[in-house]
Amino acid sequence: MTLIYNALSGAIAAQAALNTTSQNLANLQTKGYTRQGVLLTAIAPGVGTTSAGSGVQVSSLLRFSDSYKTQQLWRANTEVGAYVEPNRYFLQMEQIMGDDKTSLSSGIDKFFAALNGLGVDPTSSPLRQAVVTSADALSQGFNSIYAVTRNQQISVSQQRDAALPQFNTLLKNIATLNQRIQTAAAVDTNTSALIDERDQQIDQLAQFAAIEVLEQPDGSRSISLKSGQPLVNGRDAGTLFMDTSSGAPVLTLNYGNTKFAIDDTKMGGQLGGLGNYEKNTLAPLQKSISEMAEQLAKKINDQLLAGSDGVNPTGTGLPLFSFNPTGSGGILSIVPGFKASDLALSSTGAPGDSGNLQLLIDIKNQPITLTSIGSVQLGDADTQLVGKLGVDSAQNKSLLKTAGTIRQQAEDDWAATSSVNKDEEAIDLVQFQQMYNANMRVITVAGQLFDATMAMFG
Amino acid sequence: MRIASMQYQATMLRSLNLNQGVLTDLTSKMANGTRLLVPSDDPIANVRLSRLNREQAIVNQYVDNIDALKIRLAKNESYLDGMVNDMNAGRDLLVWALDGGNTPDDLKSMVNSLTALRDSVFYNANTRDQEGKYIFSGTETNTPAMTYDPAAPLSLQYAYAGNTQQQQVVVGNGVTQVANVDVSGLQDWLNQINGAIEALKAPGADPNDATTRAALQAALSGTDTGLDAVSQKIATFGGVQNVMATLSANHTNVALSNNIALHDIGDLDYADAGTQLTGYKLALEATYQAYGQISKLSLFDAL
Repeated sequence: MTLIYNALSGAIAAQAALNTTSQNLANLQTKGYTRQGVLLTAIAPGVGTTSAGSGVQVSSLLRFSDSYKTQQLWRANTEVGAYVEPNRYFLQMEQIMGDDKTSLSSGIDKFFAALNGLGVDPTSSPLRQAVVTSADALSQGFNSIYAVTRNQQISVSQQRDAALPQFNTLLKNIATLNQRIQTAAAVDTNTSALIDERDQQIDQLAQFAAIEVLEQPDGSRSISLKSGQPLVNGRDAGTLFMDTSSGAPVLTLNYGNTKFAIDDTKMGGQLGGLGNYEKNTLAPLQKSISEMAEQLAKKINDQLLAGSDGVNPTGTGLPLFSFNPTGSGGILSIVPGFKASDLALSSTGAPGDSGNLQLLIDIKNQPITLTSIGSVQLGDADTQLVGKLGVDSAQNKSLLKTAGTIRQQAEDDWAATSSVNKDEEAIDLVQFQQMYNANMRVITVAGQLFDATMAMFG
Repeated sequence: MRIASMQYQATMLRSLNLNQGVLTDLTSKMANGTRLLVPSDDPIANVRLSRLNREQAIVNQYVDNIDALKIRLAKNESYLDGMVNDMNAGRDLLVWALDGGNTPDDLKSMVNSLTALRDSVFYNANTRDQEGKYIFSGTETNTPAMTYDPAAPLSLQYAYAGNTQQQQVVVGNGVTQVANVDVSGLQDWLNQINGAIEALKAPGADPNDATTRAALQAALSGTDTGLDAVSQKIATFGGVQNVMATLSANHTNVALSNNIALHDIGDLDYADAGTQLTGYKLALEATYQAYGQISKLSLFDAL
C-alpha cells in the first residue's frame, strides 16, 4: 500500500512546512530573526519500473542567510559607532565655544574694550574698575570653557568604563553561544535560533570596535580586532580593560594570560571613536585653551610689571592675572587683592600718563603660539580654534551621515534575504494547507480502494 | 528585490526621522533667525562671522572713545573759554588803567576787580574732575597745575607744577588723539597781573609814574601773549572735534557695512526656509498617508 505511505509522507512534509511558516509568522517582528524554509526531496522508488516513488521527505530546514550581507551589517555598525559618540561631544563643545555671548572671543573683546575705554580718562576709578571686572569675567569665561573640556574628559572616560564591561560580556556570550552551537550541531539540532542570537551579539560587539569575524568548520565563529589581536576563539573569550599599572591608563586586551596593549584611537567603533575624540580633538583643544590663557596672562602681567601705578616708580607694577597650569579650580584668575588703583598704566611714573596702557591695548594684536594651530593673533585665536572645531565637527557629522546610510543599506540588504514577508508566508500557508488536504484525500481514496477490494470478499 | 514586511516599517521610520529632523532644524533656525545654529553648520561662514563680530566690537569701542573724548574736550574748552573771558576783562582794565587821566583812587578801585580775575583764572587752572584729579597738569594729575607761593619774589609767586606730557586715546586702528591740555605758560600771565596789582595797590599810585606804567604795560603785553596761547589751544579743539566727527562717521559706516555683511552671512533666508518647510511637511504628510495605505494591505485579509 505505497499509496497510503506516500500520502502520509506528503501530509507530514506539509505539516513540517506549515510549522516552519508558523514559526516565520510568529517571528514577523523579531529583530534579527532569519526566516526558514523546508527543503523537500522526492524519495526514489524501490526495485521495479512501475513504482513512481516512495513519497516525499523534509531533507533539511533551510536558513535564508547570506554571510556576506551579515558581515556588511557588522562593518557598517562599526562605522556608525565610531562617529555617533563623538558627534554628541562635538555638538556640546561647539554650542558652548561658538555662542557669541559666552565665547572666549567675546570675553577678550570686552577686556580690551575696557582697556581702550580707559584711554579716554586713564585716572578714572570707575573705568579702571571696569578693566578689573572685565578681566575677572574673562577669567571666568576661560574657566568655564576649560571646565567643559574637563567634564568631557571625565564623561568620555566614564563612557568607556561603562562600555568595557558590556564589550567583555558580549565576548563571553559569543564564546558560550559558539559552544552551544557546536554541541547542538553535533546532535543534529536546528541551530538557526542560536546563530541568530550570536549574530545579534556580534552586531552589538561590532558597534564597539572594528572586528574580523571568521566562520569555522565546526560552526563556531572566531573574532579578532581589526589589528589582529584575538577576542573570541571557539569557547574562549578575552577581556578588555584599562591598565593603570604603568601610570597613564592604557587600553589592554587580556587573552589567555597574554596581554596586548591596544591603540584605542585606531580600533574603530565606539571605543575607537571615543579614544580618537579624546586624544585628537579634546586634548589638543584643552591644551590650546590653557596655552591661550597662559600667554594672555603672561603678556598682560609682563606689561603691567614694566609700568607704574602713578604713585610708585616705573617698573613696580603688580600682576593682574594668575595662571594655574594644573587647571583644578580654574586655569585663570585675578590675583587676590588686586585693586583698580594697582593698574600700572603709566610708563613715566606720572599718574595721568597712559603710555603703558597703550602698550597693554596693543597686546590684542600680538601673536601667541598654540599647539593645535600654530602662531596666531591673540584677538583671533579663539575664532580659529572654534573654526577648526567646526570643521572637525562638520566632517564627523557628514561621516556619521554616510555611515548611517551605509548601515541602512546593509540592513535593507540583510532584510531582503533574511527577513520575513507575511504575504509570502500567507501563500505558503495556503499552498501547504492544500498539499496537506490533497494528501489526506489520497488516504481517503486509498481507504475507498481498500473497502472496494474488501467488498469483493463480502 | 525581495521586500520583507519589516522593511516597510523601517522605511517609514527613516522617512519620519529624516523629515521630522529637518523640520525641527528648520523651525529652530526660523525661531533664531539664523542660518547657523552651530559652527559646523558652515565652518567658513562661522569664522567670517566671528571676525566681523570682533571688528564690530573694536569699531564700536572706537566710536565710544570718540564720544567720551568729545565730551572731555568740550569740557576743557569751556574751562579755557572762561579763562579767556577773564583775561579779556583783565585786559580791558589794564587798558583803562594805562589812561593817564586816572586818579590814584580810580586805580585802587581796579585792584579788587583784577584780583578777582587773577584768582578766577588761578582756580580755573587748578580745576579738578569729579575724582579730584587736576585736569590741566599734563599727566601729573595728582598735582595742582598752578602753585602760589607768597614768600617768593613777586615775579615768581605763581609757578606751573604740572608737565606737558600728553594722554593718548586710541580712536581708530593706529590713530590716536591727545585727550588732555595743560596750562603751562599761564603762570607768566598770573605773575605779570600780580605785578600790576601790586603796582596799583601802592599808596599814591600814579598812571603816569614810569615804574607803574612799566608794570601795567608788561601785564598788558603778557595778557596778549597769554590770550594768544590759550586761544590757540581752544582753536586746536575745534580742529580735533572736526577730525573726531569725520572719524566717527567713518567708523559708523564701517560698522554699518559690517552689520550688513553679518546679516548677509548669518541670517536665515525666510522665503527659502519657508519653501523648504512646506516641502518637508508635504513629504511627511505623504509618508503618513502612504504608511496608512500600505499597512492596510495584507494577503491574509483575502484568505
